[in-house]
Amino acid sequence: MKRWVIILTGLVFTGFIAALIVVIFVYNKPHPDYEKIDAEYTLTAADLYQAYIANKTGAGIKYSGKVIAINGKLSKVENAGSMTICVFAFNKGMFGDEGLRCTMLPKFREQANIFKPGSAVTIKGYCSGFTDTDVILDKCSIVK
Amino acid sequence: MKKTILTIICLLVAATAVNAGIFATKTGYIKFYSASPLEKIEAHNHQVNAALDATSGDFVFQILMRSFEFEKAMMQEHFNENYVESDKFPNATFLGKVTNIKDVNTGKDGTYEAIIEGKLTIHGVTQTVKSNGKFEVKEGKLSGKSKFNILLSDYKIMIPGTVTNNISKSIEITVEVNLDKIN
Repeated sequence: MKRWVIILTGLVFTGFIAALIVVIFVYNKPHPDYEKIDAEYTLTAADLYQAYIANKTGAGIKYSGKVIAINGKLSKVENAGSMTICVFAFNKGMFGDEGLRCTMLPKFREQANIFKPGSAVTIKGYCSGFTDTDVILDKCSIVK
Repeated sequence: MKKTILTIICLLVAATAVNAGIFATKTGYIKFYSASPLEKIEAHNHQVNAALDATSGDFVFQILMRSFEFEKAMMQEHFNENYVESDKFPNATFLGKVTNIKDVNTGKDGTYEAIIEGKLTIHGVTQTVKSNGKFEVKEGKLSGKSKFNILLSDYKIMIPGTVTNNISKSIEITVEVNLDKIN
């Protein structure tokens, strides 16, 4: 009888510790390292922008929430607060230039700021979606 | 009499000219903050589109839900997948007005109290919101700040019973924008 109680207590305790470890691990799991994730799609900046302009919902299903690599000629690099944003402009609208806005990961800010307008670049990042004026890529890294 | 009317017209034209123009940004900031007994959760979005027509007071925000960043990856996943359902409802919008825009002189440096009222759409649900805020005019630039609370239930955002004590029913929203004159 006593032996059974000891075995049962041991099992419950082990199960509790295992569950606790899993919860802590899941709760504290780190954010993905977007620089290391392979792009699901590679296309030109203009094609990605046009895809959202032509069919916002369809493009959202295909590209939003995915890691995408885009290439094209850079229009400008903006710095706002602690953010560096590579801009590919294809239109003018209420908020100014419209197109693709790629917010760079901290380690790529300096490199991005060296780019001149017209530079041909390939940038990879997490596609957050379309704001009705711009396609937003976050956590971007410079591929080329 | 003619001279008086002319003077009034000139003053009105001058007042309109001072407040004329569109101010906008694509790097506006929105934070939301949930303080529950068990946990404090906050998320930050630094890529908010905002535009203010300083003549009419029309004030517009466009927000991408997936651009909110959380400290913990798990919270960000739950936010996008389970709570605001970013696949189905990728954007939030505010379409409203600064109802006392006449009190905000964008041609003169200073701090101005503002009353903002309009329709906020989150999770596909639109509600009327009203908030007080402040505008600061400095060297031709306009910055604005406001803070208000929303109820998750008003926007049909359901929190599962298992984490109901971790997330507050009322969420504090902080808005900060630095607007540039674009025309």
